[in-house]
Formats: sequence, structure tokens, C-alpha cells
Amino acid sequence: MLRMEIALFLVMAFVAAIYYSAGWRHTPLHRTFAVLPGTVLVHLLFDAATLYTVNHPDAVPRFWNDTLHRLFIGTMVLVVYLFYQYIAILVSEASGQPRRLDRAARAFLVLAELGALLLPVHYAVTPQGNYSDGIHANVCYVSVGFYLLLCVLLLWKYWRQLDRRQRSAIGAAMLIELSVCALQGFHPTWLISGMGISLMTLSFYLTLENPEILRSELVEQKMSMLYLKSQVNPHFLYNTLDTIRIQAQLNGDKQVADLLMRLVDFFRLSVKVDRPMVTLDDELELLEAYMDLMCCRYPELHCAYDIDPDLGGAQVPNFILQPIVENSLLHGLRNKGYRGEVTISAQKVPQGMEIAVRDSGSGFAPGKKAAIDEMLRSHARQAPKLTGSSIGILNVQKRVKLLCGRDYGLSYTENETGGVTAHILLPLGKENT
Amino acid sequence: MRKLRVLLVDDEIIIREGFKRLFDWDAHDCEVAGEAADGMEALSRIDMLDPDLVIMDINIPILNGLKVIQLSRIKHPDTAFIIVSGYDDFSYCREALRLQITDYILKPVNYEEFGACIDRLKISLFQRSRSRESASAEEERPIVGITRYLQEHLAEDISLSILAEEFHLSGQYISQLFKSEIGVNFLSYLTGIRMEKAKQLLLATALPIAEISAQSGYGDYRVFTKVFKKSEGVTPSQYRRDFLENA
Repeated sequence: MLRMEIALFLVMAFVAAIYYSAGWRHTPLHRTFAVLPGTVLVHLLFDAATLYTVNHPDAVPRFWNDTLHRLFIGTMVLVVYLFYQYIAILVSEASGQPRRLDRAARAFLVLAELGALLLPVHYAVTPQGNYSDGIHANVCYVSVGFYLLLCVLLLWKYWRQLDRRQRSAIGAAMLIELSVCALQGFHPTWLISGMGISLMTLSFYLTLENPEILRSELVEQKMSMLYLKSQVNPHFLYNTLDTIRIQAQLNGDKQVADLLMRLVDFFRLSVKVDRPMVTLDDELELLEAYMDLMCCRYPELHCAYDIDPDLGGAQVPNFILQPIVENSLLHGLRNKGYRGEVTISAQKVPQGMEIAVRDSGSGFAPGKKAAIDEMLRSHARQAPKLTGSSIGILNVQKRVKLLCGRDYGLSYTENETGGVTAHILLPLGKENT
Repeated sequence: MRKLRVLLVDDEIIIREGFKRLFDWDAHDCEVAGEAADGMEALSRIDMLDPDLVIMDINIPILNGLKVIQLSRIKHPDTAFIIVSGYDDFSYCREALRLQITDYILKPVNYEEFGACIDRLKISLFQRSRSRESASAEEERPIVGITRYLQEHLAEDISLSILAEEFHLSGQYISQLFKSEIGVNFLSYLTGIRMEKAKQLLLATALPIAEISAQSGYGDYRVFTKVFKKSEGVTPSQYRRDFLENA
């Protein structure tokens, strides 16, 4: 049995190490869970120790045996209390109701701990092994029963407010603890209480507190926020812009009207496309709307296209050109007062097709090219960015690699005549070869 | 050819004003006969004015555009509709096409290109009247023969001089015939029926674009793609894809 305790200890230590290194202790829920693995580890230590002392009464003085048992039962009550606390916070977060049973739970905790420390310890000696029984050992059965009852009361009332993952985590944990406790009660020599507690902790860890799950939840939340922000009723936006355009033209300002027309086009196109892959035609249409606007704002900025007409129907990842061109403008041509030219070309190459964005801008600052190359090479290790300076090109690289495969992607070269060229290598479907 | 009488329907006054003042109605033999700001008003104006054409936003108060078409069909089966919509949503478009409207355009409306839409409408009005009269008329008018010839030969090189030779009429006279009988010039008519043919082939067959381009009378399919894009707002491959995806 000692071996099982050691195994459990190692597993829990592993879980605790991962959990603590991820550092999720911002909310009451996570802070409560954070106490659990540590407490369980201490509990398992006493569990293992008593397992040895109770079966070697000749080698260990009675006082130490008793003390270790008191600490064993004491930490166990604490662990079960923490389980209750965790479930109570979870339920109150999900339902929005205050935690009414907390006072009873705390009062019981004090009573149970006093009992664990003060009640007389008694040992049963059997041929299968020794164990503690009597009033002291019953403290832990009563506490498990009490806290499980509190949890059942909470769940009874708020089960509908919990989501699927929370239900399965809590359900599994309570089922495990109930059956382990019953088995332990009927077969006192099995000594499996440590297993129950570890499994319960694990079930919460795996379903609710796993750092990967928490991280993806957070990113998802941020993404949907950004999505919402960018989606503020697009129809309102471009219907209003269109009305302004018509009014401008009615007032005789054709130039403003044309600019607004392009802006409406740009919004309409960028809102319309929700697929991961689009045709090169679609992608170029969006880019043209964007470039027309930029060229109008900066009259000395020029744009040229050199597109192989056979490639118009080729599938490319959505929204890859505009971020690259925007990058060329902001980091290349801006430094030259937006005087210069951007050339966008798409040609067939042996591996598929290459889209090149060539600018006559200021080129890379010293050391910048190496940094960009390194970032694009190690794209997989970088978390998806939501803000920051290189967000555009990093996300393009990630998307191309994800949607087209690792043989394709984005790279930069320096032009002999100054400026920078971005190369996007993409596969070419059979219909276009 | 008498002037087409037009009813404008949109709940925004600026958009109605834009249509009224920014499009050259005279040059296209049209006149704006009235305006309406909602579906109910549109219905009563249609009853009152009996317009040839209603240009209407689909998303208007009280009754939506599709309902207006349905209800007005009962008393005015010949009124043509051009639906203007901010929702580039193909399900609307399909519903509208089922109601046999004449055309469907998307906001923002480019007034310079709106003329092509009116031309298309005139062509289809002409085709409708021709199909009715073919049963009753004893003597065929020259324009009917010419347009039938065009329909049968639209894959070939056609010009006014070829037509002139074929029908023993002067090119200038034929050109005037188009303007007076249909209300559009010869080239717009030819482009119109070629685009109709191309759209039909795109949706009904799986032929490659180059082949459809040739069958529609365009030797160079890049030229075809350009003309198609200008006329329909999307490239031929996009047009086919949009339809397949939404079917």
C-alpha cells in the first residue's frame, strides 16, 4: 500500500508543479484550487507515514503514532473542506448567488479539527493489517458525509446554471469520493482514502483547472471581444457612409464621393468574407480598395499590379495581402514621406505560386531583417498576437503555415535598388496548374 | 420608343435624391414619375402612377420590398423592378429572382454604371414584347429579324457592317433602329445578350471559363472577364461559385 501512496504523491507533485508554474491565481476560484494540491501533498505525506507507524507499533512510540494520525485526519478534513469551498465558489460564480452555506461549513471545520486533535485514537489489530477506528477515525467519515451533503444541496439548487464541463467535473469528483469513502468504510484495511482525494483533485484539475484549457479560454474571450469590436453592426456603418457619399455628390463634391465609395467597398469586402480560404480575385479586390484609399491620401504613393490572369481563381488564405502591404507602407514608405511605389505581383513558380509585395521604401533598419527572419522562422513558438508591432506579418505566417502546410509561407528579401520585397509562397490547386 | 416612367422607393430621402439628381435619366429615355418612402406608400403609388419601372430598396418599413413586388404583381403584372440592396445576401437575391424582377443591384450604387442596368432592362422589355407579338404579327419588323440573327450568331464576330450586308440595310439605319425600337445602342444590346448567354452557361454547364467566353463571342477570355466583371460586379468564376455555394 505504501507504493500506491508514493505513486499518488508523485502524480500530485507533478500536477502541482504544472499548476503553480502556469500561475493562474487571479480569481477566488483559482486561488482556492491553488491551495488544494499543496494540502493534498501534505496529507499524502501523513497518510504514508501513518500507514507505516500503524503497522509497526513496536518500533514507533504510541505518542508519535497518535500525533501522526491526528495530523492525517486533520489534513483530510481540511482537504474535504477545500473541495466544498471550491464547488461552492464555482456554483456561486455560475449562478450569481451568494454562498449561504459557508458559515456552517467553517463552523463544522473548527469542530472537526478540534475532534481530530483531541479525541482519543484507537487502533484495530487484524490479521490483514492494522488501522485506526473508533470515534477519532469516524471524524473523517462524518466530515466527508457533511461536506458532500452541503455540495449536494448546492448542486440540487443550481445544477441548471452549470455548464457541461463543470457538471461532469463535479459529478465525477463526488461520485469518486462517495464510492471510495463507502469502500473504505466497509473494508477498513484497504486504506484507500488518499486515492479518493487524489482522484478528486485530478478530476477538477483535468476538466476545469488545466492551464491549457484556461489559456485557450482566455484567448477565446479576447478574440471574441475583438471580433465584437470589429463587428459593430457593419450594415449601419456602410449604409451611413453610403448616405454621406450620396450627399457629397449631391453637393457637387465628386472627389469626396469617390473616396467614400472606395471606403464603403473596403468595409463591405472585409466584412463579407468569413471563410478561411478565398480566391485571389477576392483578395485583390479588397487590397485594391485599400490601396486606392491610401494612394488618394498620399498622392505621391503609387501602386502597380502584375497578376498572372490564370491565377484569379486560385485559393489563398483569407486576408493575407492587406496586412503585408500595410506593413510595407508603415515600415518602408512612411519613412520616405509616402513617396514611392508598391508593386504587387502573382506568378506561377515550380512549387505553386508566389505573391510578391515589393516596395521602394527605406528598407530594413540594421539588425531588423535578422529579427524578422527569426520571428518568421520560429512562428510556431510565438503565441498568437492580439496587439503589437509585428502582429500582421506574424499572423499571416501562422495562417499560411496552418492552412497550406509548412512548405509554404512568408519571407522577406532586400531589393538591390532599395526597399524590401515580401514573398508569400502558396500551393496551387490542380484546377489552376 | 416612349420614355420609361420610374418610381423610386427608399426610406432615406438622401438616397432618393441621389438617384433623382445624380443619374442622367434623360440620356436613358427615362423620367422619374414619383417617390415612396415605405412599402405601403410604394403600393399606392404603383396603383396611382402605373410606372414601367420601380427602383426599390429591399429593406423598407411596413412592407418589405419582396412583399411589395408580390402584391403589385396582381394588378400590375408588367411593372419591372430593380431591387437595390445593402445586404449582399444571395438568399434575398434568389427570392427576388423568383419573383421575376428584372434586376438586382447592390449598394453602393455607382451612378455612372447604373445606365448599364437600365439598358439591360430595356433589352428584356423588348424581348418580352417580341415574344408576345411573334404569335400575332403577320409581317415581321426588321428589328425582330436582326435581333434573332444576333441571338443565333452571338458566338461569332458581329459588327454593324456585317449586319448591314446580311439585311441589305445601311449600318447607320440599323443603329437608329436599335435606339428607336429598343432604346439602347447596338453595342450595349450585343453585350447584354452575350452576358445573358454567359450567365446561362456558367450556371447550367460545367464548361471552363475560356470555353464559355468563346461561346459568348469573346475570343480573348481576359476581355470577357473584364466585361463580365463590369456588368455583373463579380468575375465569371465568382459568379458560378456564389451560385453553387448558395444553391
